[in-house]
Amino acid sequence: MRPFKLVISGVGGQGTLLASRLLAEAAIRSGLDVIIGETYGMAQRGGPVMGHLQIGGEDRSPQIPPGEADALLGFEEAEAVRRGAVYLKEGGLAIVNTRRLHPVEVISGMAEYPSRDALMALLSEVTDNIVSFDATALAEEAGDPVTTNVVMLGALCASGILPFQEELLLETMRESVPARYLDVNLKAFILGKKAFTNHKRRQTGIQK
Amino acid sequence: MSARVMMMDEPGRVALLMGNEAIARGAIEAGVSVAAGYPGTPSSEIGDALSQVADALGFYFEWSTNEKVALEVAFGASMCNQRSIVSMKHVGLNVALDILNLISLRGVRGGLVLVSADDPSQHSSGQEQDNRWLAKMNCVPVLEPSTPQEAKEYTRYAFELSERRRTPVMVRTVTRLSHMRGKVTLGPISREKRMAEFDWEGFSYRVSGFDRLFRREKELNDKLKLIQEDFEELNLNLLKMGGDERFGFIGAGLSFNYAHDAVRRLGIEKEAAYLKLATSHPIPQRLVSRLIGGVDRLLVVEEVDPFVELHVRALAKEVNPKLEVYGRMSGHLPGEGELSPQILGEALARIFNLENPYRRRSELEERVRGTIFERMLTFCAGCPHRATIYALKSAVIKVRGDPRRVVVNGDIGCYGLAHTPPLNFEDTYFCMGASIGVSQGMRHVGVDCISLIGDGTFLHAGIPGLINSVYNQADIKVVIADNQTIAMTGFQPHAGSGKTATGKPTRRVLIEDIARACGVDQVEVVDPYNLREAEEAFIRMLESKGVSVVIARRICATEAVRMLRPRRPTPYRVDEDVCIGCRLCLNTFGCPALEWDGEKGLASVNETLCMGCGVCSQICPQGAIGRAGAV
Repeated sequence: MRPFKLVISGVGGQGTLLASRLLAEAAIRSGLDVIIGETYGMAQRGGPVMGHLQIGGEDRSPQIPPGEADALLGFEEAEAVRRGAVYLKEGGLAIVNTRRLHPVEVISGMAEYPSRDALMALLSEVTDNIVSFDATALAEEAGDPVTTNVVMLGALCASGILPFQEELLLETMRESVPARYLDVNLKAFILGKKAFTNHKRRQTGIQK
Repeated sequence: MSARVMMMDEPGRVALLMGNEAIARGAIEAGVSVAAGYPGTPSSEIGDALSQVADALGFYFEWSTNEKVALEVAFGASMCNQRSIVSMKHVGLNVALDILNLISLRGVRGGLVLVSADDPSQHSSGQEQDNRWLAKMNCVPVLEPSTPQEAKEYTRYAFELSERRRTPVMVRTVTRLSHMRGKVTLGPISREKRMAEFDWEGFSYRVSGFDRLFRREKELNDKLKLIQEDFEELNLNLLKMGGDERFGFIGAGLSFNYAHDAVRRLGIEKEAAYLKLATSHPIPQRLVSRLIGGVDRLLVVEEVDPFVELHVRALAKEVNPKLEVYGRMSGHLPGEGELSPQILGEALARIFNLENPYRRRSELEERVRGTIFERMLTFCAGCPHRATIYALKSAVIKVRGDPRRVVVNGDIGCYGLAHTPPLNFEDTYFCMGASIGVSQGMRHVGVDCISLIGDGTFLHAGIPGLINSVYNQADIKVVIADNQTIAMTGFQPHAGSGKTATGKPTRRVLIEDIARACGVDQVEVVDPYNLREAEEAFIRMLESKGVSVVIARRICATEAVRMLRPRRPTPYRVDEDVCIGCRLCLNTFGCPALEWDGEKGLASVNETLCMGCGVCSQICPQGAIGRAGAV
């Protein structure tokens, strides 16, 4: 099969690494090869976090080469653009959480958070296949902002780009999420799926 | 998720494991009996994984107070015929070196595996350090896996080799392997329980006599020759050679992957012979000679120093003097830092006069860097260290007039982020415990300074320095930022935490007791969440004569909130009628839970991030910040 390459980008504490692990577990269930490369350093302290997930294919390196990711899951607006511009292939799918996490440079007035237009303009140079929405708001709607990562997974599933069945991902979630948090997570997943389809519907609507 | 996999005794089952977990699993499959370590990125998850299952599987695990003690604990068990493993980050081995040297000279009984997690490109370290040199210096064989599956298999083999040749064996991983996840086929878990019995013949002066045990250099050298023979035949070293290739490469450990991918991408697999080298010390010379004798050009790919390359160059002098060797020494690969498929693509393209198949959008990346902030590391929301350093800085300004009148010597841990904005209040940090030592040299020449060290680091390497300061009358000022855990590496407990690595309650070793026992007369313990109290203690410290210690104690906020789950702390809130938008809380304190509402021109609190510590409310001169519900 043609390999599927995904870059997940966010900030420490957002659950990016768990998201890539759930995807990888699901891939293994469907019998596919998978490797994840994780870059986090001392990310608990508000630093950037990035996961590289490769399903299938012959490459052995845990890092996806620049410009070769089929999709980007951006958990934070600026981090999405920072990584998308480097790793996403031309026309690749970018799913972006528009919720911002202000770094200390912005909090203490040393830097400004770039405008949405400026950020999206940069990402648009790589792809026009951008789906963006406030995933954290949906996670809050589901009952816990911590489930932002699952909202993002729902959206990714709805895109149809994953090389395995959605059911396998749900199965993985049911087995690895503690029972008392499962309902909230499943709700978050469905809200993420809906957000993706609604966005796409709006996009096609505009084109008409 | 990982504890379940660690304990799974279903041979053939495929699991997703990270490199570090795979090393832990390898030890479990090998029937490890005693495991120890000191946390340090990128090695920490090895101990984390072992600590979760030690009780259930019936082996012993501890987080030791430092790496030297950890290795000694492992050696003690080994002398009693038990298998032991010890894990640490690269620089941890510098601390443990004193005993490693003797373990390798005297030999082991039960298999003893030393895991060194090196950090090429310094993702979370003060230096790059290639521990293969230390292994060579101490005659320790080195295994370098390239995937999580290999990490598990090589660890298992390391135990076997260690026992057979009576030597400690190093499994060397690097950050990218330690933090990589991949499919791992599980093997059976060894249920063998050996009798623990001290090997009198092997280690007792009383039984074997001093002379027989003491000088063993020749035995050690003979051992290395035998191990080299083992490695010549070892099936983990893969030589792929058809016979008509003119080019070859040697890839050691994880770096092999980069060369493998780049060669394929360039479409030159058929022209390339290779040796996938699992054993970088001692080098299997005959095996290497077969490759270098059959090609004209050879690329050596490894991280981070040209360790194999140097040996290959020496060997080529005899085997194939015309061989052209490319690598870090020739300048075809950079002299420092980790490698990547792109770097290999560039090097191979240069050697073969082809176009680098990997491309970067350099111009776009440049504009992205120009548009987006850097996102520096910072203290977490509610971090007690932020409050400690804020209070310390205020005290210095009050007593000395200018924060630049004192040198702040920091140390290794979260509080080392004191140099980051907006606090900007730290000048140096070097290695575990150094803050206390270097400050004494500064004091002896009359330079004003403060040592800033954490609880774990103090217990690891700070105590001898403190004793030295009292003994030699260097009146240093020591701030111990005590958050009761080794937070930076993932909240591992230590002697001051009151619980063991496996979660059992134990006596808390109190830092104030140690400081007093070292002979320090002026010791205070304060709560940094009470800014005024902390500042006053720091003022007393700065105005004192003699050695003075202030312990700023408050549990790590992230750890506190973890223990509170699923409840959340009550957040604070900004009263919009009282806030005047002066930005003092943001510009001088900079907690990530504080935000600037640009539309209203006021500060606000992000309630999902707020840890409820209330320190910002003590900073606001207007009294605009209060606990939600109270405002």
